[in-house]
Formats: sequence, C-alpha cells, structure tokens
Amino acid sequence: MSIDITVTVGGAAGQGLQTVGDLLARVCHRAGLYLMAINDFESRIRGGNNFFQIRISDAPVNAPRQPVDLLVALDRRSIREHRPRLSDRGLIMADAGSSNKGEKGEMEGVFTLPIRDLAKEAGGAITANTVAAGACLAILGAPWDLVRETVEDFFSGKSRKVIDQNIAAAEKGHEAGRSVKFQGAFQWPDGRERKGRLLTGADAAALGALAADCRIAAFYPMSPATPILVSLASHIDRFPLVLEQAEDEIAAVNMTMGAAFAGVRAFTATSGGGFALMTEGLGLAGITETPIVIVNAQRPGPATGLPTRTGQADLPFCIHSPQDDSPRFILAPGTVEDVFNTMVRAFDLAWKYQAPAIVLVDQYLCDSMFIALGEMTVPESIPIYTITDADMPDPSAYQRYAFTESGISPMALPCAGQALVKVCGNEHRVDGHITEDATLRRRMVEKRQSKIPAMRGEMRPPSAHHPDAETLLVGWGSTIGPLREAVDMLRSDGMDAGCAHFTDLWPFPAEAAERVLKKAGRRIMVEGNATAQLGALIREQTGIVADGTVLKYDGRPFFPREIADAVLEQTR
Amino acid sequence: MTDVELYHNDYENKWCPGCGNFGILEAMKDALAGLDIPPSKALIVSGIGQAGKTPHFLKCNFFHGLHGRALPVATGAKMANNDMTVLVNTGDGDCYGEGGNHFLAAVRRNVDITALVHNNKVYGLTKGQASPTSDMGMTTKVQGKGVILSPFDGPSVALSLGAGFVARGFAGRMDHLSGLIQAAIRYSGFALIDIFQPCVSFNRRNTWQSYNESVYELTEENHDPADLDAAFKLCRQGDEKIPIGIFYQKETVSFSDRIEVLREGPLVSRTFAPARVQNLLNTY
Ligand SMILES: Cc1ncc(C[n+]2csc(CCOP(=O)(O)OP(=O)(O)O)c2C)c(N)n1
Ligand code: SF4
Repeated sequence: MSIDITVTVGGAAGQGLQTVGDLLARVCHRAGLYLMAINDFESRIRGGNNFFQIRISDAPVNAPRQPVDLLVALDRRSIREHRPRLSDRGLIMADAGSSNKGEKGEMEGVFTLPIRDLAKEAGGAITANTVAAGACLAILGAPWDLVRETVEDFFSGKSRKVIDQNIAAAEKGHEAGRSVKFQGAFQWPDGRERKGRLLTGADAAALGALAADCRIAAFYPMSPATPILVSLASHIDRFPLVLEQAEDEIAAVNMTMGAAFAGVRAFTATSGGGFALMTEGLGLAGITETPIVIVNAQRPGPATGLPTRTGQADLPFCIHSPQDDSPRFILAPGTVEDVFNTMVRAFDLAWKYQAPAIVLVDQYLCDSMFIALGEMTVPESIPIYTITDADMPDPSAYQRYAFTESGISPMALPCAGQALVKVCGNEHRVDGHITEDATLRRRMVEKRQSKIPAMRGEMRPPSAHHPDAETLLVGWGSTIGPLREAVDMLRSDGMDAGCAHFTDLWPFPAEAAERVLKKAGRRIMVEGNATAQLGALIREQTGIVADGTVLKYDGRPFFPREIADAVLEQTR
Repeated sequence: MTDVELYHNDYENKWCPGCGNFGILEAMKDALAGLDIPPSKALIVSGIGQAGKTPHFLKCNFFHGLHGRALPVATGAKMANNDMTVLVNTGDGDCYGEGGNHFLAAVRRNVDITALVHNNKVYGLTKGQASPTSDMGMTTKVQGKGVILSPFDGPSVALSLGAGFVARGFAGRMDHLSGLIQAAIRYSGFALIDIFQPCVSFNRRNTWQSYNESVYELTEENHDPADLDAAFKLCRQGDEKIPIGIFYQKETVSFSDRIEVLREGPLVSRTFAPARVQNLLNTY
C-alpha cells in the first residue's frame, strides 16, 4: 500500500458535512481508489462537533485509522478537537472567514482559504461545502476533470442551475486548494476503473432486503436503524414494496408479523430501545412460528444511551428476550457484503424454519461507507416454503401446527384456499386453538425446540485469519475489519497472532467454535461492550475461558492500532 | 347467501353463560353469511381478553395475538393481502387501553378493516378490574373506592380523528348488530363498531336490564349519519337513552387505495424480479 491517507472533515451539525463526505468518497471511488469512511456525529441537528473521516488507499481498507493527515475544519472547534490527532505530515485547512472567536494561537499553522467568500461568488453560501470538497480534493492532488464529473453526477437529480452552481463552487475550491502544499498529496490513478461498490451498511441492509423479496417494512424511526429505511425508501418506486412508519415499535413488529402471516416477506429495523419494546412480539413470533426478520442496529445503552454512537452490547439481550424459551436465529454480519448476503439468508432461514431471525448490526456498520469487493448475490428465485390446497389431501383438515419429525409444520396462508389457517399466541393445539392440556403443552414446547438442531446446522463456523496462531483475537459482527488489520500489525510487530470472527451467533455453533478456539494458546476477546458478552457465551457453550479482553464501550468504533496496542500490553 | 351453519365451530366455548359476547358472535356469523363471505375468505384478528377469544368460536382464518396488538397485526395482514376481508375482535381494555396508540393510528391510517370493540366497561378475563371505559364511581376489587378516572369514549375519539365509519351496537340486538357489521364490512376504510356488551360476571352497573331499558335504534327520521356534530352528540348522551346505529359515515380513501403499489393488486401475489434488484445493485 503506497497511499494511506486519512482526511477528517469537521464542523457543526447543519454545516453539510455529509455532502463533503459523500463527494470525497465518490471522487475516490470513481478514480478507482479504495476507501472506508466513518461518520461521527452528535445527537443534535445544529451545532456541536461532528466529523466525517475518510481513509483513502490504493489497497483495500476496512477499518478507520486514528491519525489525521488532512483536517478540513469548517469551524474553529474542529481545529481544537482534532489537532491532537494530526500526523507528522498533517495539515489543517480552515475557512478564512471562520467567525467564531478562537483561543490565542489556535490558528497557528492552519492554512486558511476563503471558503465562504468563494461560495458566495459561485452562487450562494449554501455551496460552501462543495467549495470545501473541491479544495480538499485539490490539496490531495485530485485532477479537476475527475472532480467535475463527480459533482455533475452527484447533483444530477437537481436542477441545471443547482448543478452549475455546485460545479462552479467545486472549481473555485479546487483552484484555491491547488496552491496548498501537502506532503500527503499523491498521484491519482488516470483511469476510471471503480473498485467494487461504494455503500454503507444501511444501504447494504436495504438492498439485501430487496434481494430477499421483502415487500413490507414497518418501522419506527430510531438511530442508527433509520438510515436503513431511508435507503429503502429511495427505491420504493421500483419494487412492489410498502414501507410503513408505525406508531411505535410494538406496532412495527406486530405489523411485520401480520404481513408474514399473510404470506409476504417483511422486516422491521430498530435499535436496542425499540427492540426492547418489540420483545413481546418476538415471543409471539416464536410461539406462533411466524417468520419475521428484525434488524437490531446497536447503539450503546441502556435506555437512550448514546443515540448516534456505536456498540455491540445487545447479544445476550437478543438471545434471551423475551420470557421463556423460543428458537430464533441471530446473525451478526461483519462487512457490507456480508450485511447484504445476511439479509437474504435471514429471510430464507426465517421462512424455512418458521422462526424469527435477528440481524445484529451497529452504528459503525450502518453509517460507515465501505468499498464492497466481495460477492453480493441476488438469488435467482425465492424458495417457496408455504403450501396451498393443492398440496393437501384434504384442505378442510389442515392443521397449522401439525406435529412433524422436523418440528416444522407445513404453513398455509389465510384466505388462499379452503384450508383455514388458525394462529394463536396462547399455547395451542395442532389446529391452532387454545389449549391448557399439560401433555399438549409439553409436546408443543418440544416441537418448537426440536427445530433447533437443524437450525444450528445452518450456522457457519467462525472465520479465521491465521487460524493456527498462538494468540487468537476473538470477535463478532462489525469488528472484522479492525480485527484483521490489528492481527496484521501484531504479526509485523513479531507476534504470532490471528483472529477468529463470529457472524452466526444463535443457535450457537458450539462445536465449530470449539474446533477453532481450542487450538490457540491464548484467546483474547475483542468486543464493543463492557463484559465480553461473546466471551461469556463461548464459555457457556464450550467451557472455553478467554485469557484476556480488549473491550471498548465509549461509543466509538475500534481502531486497529488500539486493539494491537492493547493486546501487546496484555501479553507483554 | 352462505349458510350460517357453515361458521359453526365445535371448539368448546369458554365464555360465561349469559355473556354479551354470544350476541356479538351470532351477529358476526349472520353478517358474514349475509354478505356471502365464506369462512375461507374471512380473516379475524384478535387481541387478548374474553373478546380476543371470539375467533376460536366460529369457523374462520384467525390470528389471535397479543394484548392490545390486534390492530397492527390486522394492518400488516391487510397490507400484504388487501383482497382479504379483515375483522378485528377486541375488548375495551385491549383496544382503548393497552392498544390505545394503535387505535389512534388505525383510525388515521384508515386501513380497510372492521373493528368490533366488545365494550363491557370492565376487564373480564382478569376478573373485573376497571377498564378505560368504566363509569366513574364503579367499584371493583381493585378500585374499592370507585373509579376516579373519566371514561374513554372510543366513538368520539374516532370521530375527532376523522374516522369515516363510527357506529355503536348492542349485543342484545343481534339483527341490528348484524346490519351494522355488514355495513362496516362493506365500508371501504377503517370502521369502528363500539358494542355495548353486558358482562354478567363482573359488571353490575351496565347490565342487560339497564341496556334493554335505555337502548334505542337510530333511524332515518331521528339521525342523519352525514352530520358530524350530531354524531358527536350521540356519543355523549347519558345512560338514560343510549342510541345504537351508525353515528357517522362518510366516504374516504382507504389506506390501500392511498398506496399506488397496492392499487395494482395484493403484494402477496406479485412476482419476484431479481433482475431489477441486480440492476439497482449495479448502480452502487
Ligand atoms: C401484556 C399483557 N398485560 C396484561 C395482560 C393480562 N390481561 C389479559 S386480558 C386483560 C384485560 C382484558 O380486558 P378487555 O380488553 O376489556 O377484554 P375483556 O376480557 O373484558 O373482553 C388483561 C389486563 C396480558 N395478557 N398481557
Ligand atoms: S367474565 Fe364477563 S365478559 Fe368474560 S365471559 Fe364472563 S360475562 Fe363475558
């Protein structure tokens, strides 16, 4: 890797950071570079300090870096916040007209450009973020025609006037930026060969739902799940799809269930607090054996916690809620490709086993942009797991909860034929009517539980990077990028390190886990929670006790260097 | 016309003898038969409580879900397949208490479902605590000194939210109630029938006798269902004279009809188009 640059664009909420960030990412993508970008923002609409941080490289990158090479400060506060992270070759660029009063010496070494003035010249203060993007790209050495093409493309949905204003703004920024000397500037590729797809985890979840033939999404807005629905909403006109903002999460999960019961693939997406409200519904899906998919985009809790930040602390909650036992799947994809493919799989598994499937993602994965290089497979057809009158010897004798060897009863749809479909959240007989009979109750519990071995058989083993290493870092979900890079760092530091990464968490693939984990001399749990939740699960399911932990619960994503340093510290 | 006997189900009924729910059950069967909707074409969604058990006692497709959550399940089912006739059986506690937020939203959403609120002004299944519709002063084992909250009136709330079909029925007037249910099913949009239903075990105030003495039917002569102000007044008449019938009806565009994609046919019968997903994916 000869290029590895981190650019941070900082400013207040409401300053249009997202536009700057999107433009930077698209220009890099168009040029055939690799990138990954995180969005770090506060739970407010105006003010505060937010930043967008993009890592640009000529080799695949899947984790953020901490040191900042180029800081584009749209306000003074960003200078204060991010200067301490500046790398040796670091440069700060700020708006000359930055009006808020700074401390003495604050502007030292800061390169200023008249961003706001240039924006006004280009057609309005509103284009300031495009000026900033143009300047930033020029500082990095990006050629003007590449920037122009991207701006044109980016604003293509808007009026000609808006497009032209933004091109003018980008050009003014670019001209001004060219005069800035930056050690990190690099030679941009000549071609326009895009590497992979540029998307966020939220985009991937929405696309995955569509690829799974999902036709109904019911939801109640909650960060960081909302971007999934916003992304889905942008595709609404192309598909037979209904998106309904429910009155609350309880309604959302119950609507999802009603839709699935009537034969349409449906899902809901929320975060921990909303998931808490959905748990009774999760139980209803369990006892009624209704195939629903719930995406839980985790954020730190409990209660409101840190609304716009990231964490991985809902694993036991998803495994154990609500009351009593009922089978479910829990899948925690690590990459954007994986989010897409996992959505397809979650729907398939839910319908195949008539059980709820929970997809665990988090703010880091939902809001960050990645280049997806791996396969994202749209199935050619969707298997039909339901039956009709034609499949029954006598439709009038249909029983929704008939006992079978697999525990899975043939599922018919209401009002689709003569067969009456009777579904009940009370304990029920095979025909769906309420029962309190002790023997039947026992048999129904056993019927539902009997699906679990086959469900477990569907679970994939943890993936491993240097599986035979002496020291194995162990993680799950969105941390796969930082984990693998940390392993590479440790190995170049001379340590025999590897990692095992879990995506399929429930029913827990205990045997596979044991096989991978027991070989290592030392196992260190790396998790985004305070108690090593996966570590506890592994211990419960395999008896293997981890030898150390690297835990982060400050709401920020993992950086590979910090994982590597923490591991070195523990193993010294 | 479909034979009423077709709706007969031999699953053991679990209501108390003399309960008002029997009248509602018979009216439902009669209405479905009258409209020629066979059991296989009707979906009944219900919540929890004595009212919630209703679909077990007739032949139909049903989803008997959680306390308070029948309306969202019905909404989801209707979104998936808007060709189905969907009815909801719910109690006053189920609909206006535990599920109050869903009730408000269902009216605003105007999903084409018929909501039958079995209003016995008490929590029956949990043995007689106050419900949102209990009269002030009613004593129960829990509310020993009498209910001190003012009662919730479903019909006037629905009217204030712009509902297009609001009616009140009485479990003791089976034929009249059947007529109301038929009108509600025929209505395109959310139709509320709040049905006074005597609970012989736990409600000593709102009894068969008291209703029989005070109930009167609305006719063309004494009420114009297009008159919203008059409808509000009907909701608030005291216990001496209780009007039953359609309080208010106006044409509305139902939820399904407001959604373009649903006008093209039920979602459940669409085909999967992988190429379209692939094309979209390729734009990233
Ligand atoms: C979440 C939840 N809370 C409480 C209950 C207990 N519960 C069952 S029925 C009911 C009240 C039913 O009253 P109503 O809706 O008026 O119906 P009725 O039985 O009178 O027909 C309650 C509180 C429950 N089943 N679920
Ligand atoms: S408790 Fe009341 S509402 Fe319930 S079945 Fe008995 S009489 Fe009917």
